[in-house]
Amino acid sequence: MNSCAGTCLRYTVTIQDTNETFEVNETQTILDGMAALGRKGIPSGCHGGGCGICKIKVLDGEYQSLPMSRKHITPEDEADKIVLACRIRPCSAIVLQVIGVMKKSVLRRGYTLGAPVEIQHS
Amino acid sequence: MAVLRIGHINIRVMDMETALHHYENVVGLKRIHEDSDGNVYFKGWDEWDKYSVILTEADSPGMNHIAYKVRNDADLDYYKDRIREYGITVEEVPPGTLYAVGRALKFNLPSGHEMYLYAEKEFVGTDVGSTNPEPWPDGLKGAGAHWLDHALLMCELDPEKGVNKVAESTQFMIDVLEFYLVEQVTVGPDGDIQAASWLSTSNTPHDIAFVGGPVMGFHHCAFFLDSWDDVLKAADVMAKNNVKMDVTPQRHGITRGYTIYFFDPSGNRNKTFAGLGYLAQPDRPVTTWTEDQLGSGIFYHTGELNEAFTTVYT
Repeated sequence: MNSCAGTCLRYTVTIQDTNETFEVNETQTILDGMAALGRKGIPSGCHGGGCGICKIKVLDGEYQSLPMSRKHITPEDEADKIVLACRIRPCSAIVLQVIGVMKKSVLRRGYTLGAPVEIQHS
Repeated sequence: MAVLRIGHINIRVMDMETALHHYENVVGLKRIHEDSDGNVYFKGWDEWDKYSVILTEADSPGMNHIAYKVRNDADLDYYKDRIREYGITVEEVPPGTLYAVGRALKFNLPSGHEMYLYAEKEFVGTDVGSTNPEPWPDGLKGAGAHWLDHALLMCELDPEKGVNKVAESTQFMIDVLEFYLVEQVTVGPDGDIQAASWLSTSNTPHDIAFVGGPVMGFHHCAFFLDSWDDVLKAADVMAKNNVKMDVTPQRHGITRGYTIYFFDPSGNRNKTFAGLGYLAQPDRPVTTWTEDQLGSGIFYHTGELNEAFTTVYT
């Protein structure tokens, strides 16, 4: 298990959209830290930088990045602090805005299993 | 003429070092080769051909190609003609194009996924050999996966535009590669849209599966474990290694498999598959899951489809 037994630094993460706040260890990614506390707000997917569902914009704060899929985050995005929440570890308090769900519905039009087709089914 | 089974899969990872740890120490495959381009090859202990997983470092995860083994070299000529006659471009690549593999056919499924067929791959034997073998070898790591079992590919499906790459790819596998349909999900007002399919070329419930989604992609590849106990232990191994599990040990209604969905460090979904729930046969009636029972089909115990199943993939 990944634990720093109370010796590591913890930073407050604020989701601006909902004003939700939680604390994340410096050794954790923001998404892992949120999930570990049972908190919500950022869509949770693969936790490996692959699926793109947890896309956020960091409005304030410093962080370290791990590799993330170029299908979802371009170098320009990264320069604009648009990143995947599962791929950044905080180095200070963080304020962020969630853009994952919104982007997903814009970019990923079409059917997903379980979604209604046309009107109603009998 | 026959396609025997899944031969290997080539997966893209963003960081080779963490991927090596995952596939070697968590999934429990054996690292057998690294080529001059940095691709790393793995084998399950119960497999007898040289490898079944190729990892390629790239800036986005997903699947590069999937390969199936045919029985005889002549089958390649047979399938080459059938693929071409179906109207799909097929290229024959010389021996060695794929490491330790003979000549191969390269083509794309109607869904766009790249597929190879080959007849020969270097034989190395299982880790327990073929003469008076022990039931399992010593020194297994992690989940100790036996073999690469199958893969699920996401195919573009947009009923309003009349696009259904699930149905097209399913038909191709049946008409051209002689797989047979084992299970399916049908949706829509008239229940006539094939939104997912599970196909076999052997006697296991699936050797490949297709599920509809907004864009094509790689949903998961599955590694075979022997029993429910092995699945539980695999989940322990994952927890110890901070592996993100999408779904903890559970039964699929579809295929009756015992499963864990989990992610490699680049976000590619992996799965353990245990419990060969029934003998699949070409004349076995096709199992159909309707839209209103989809949750039970995918996750039998909860009966609830988690959103990630259809929206999270590479």
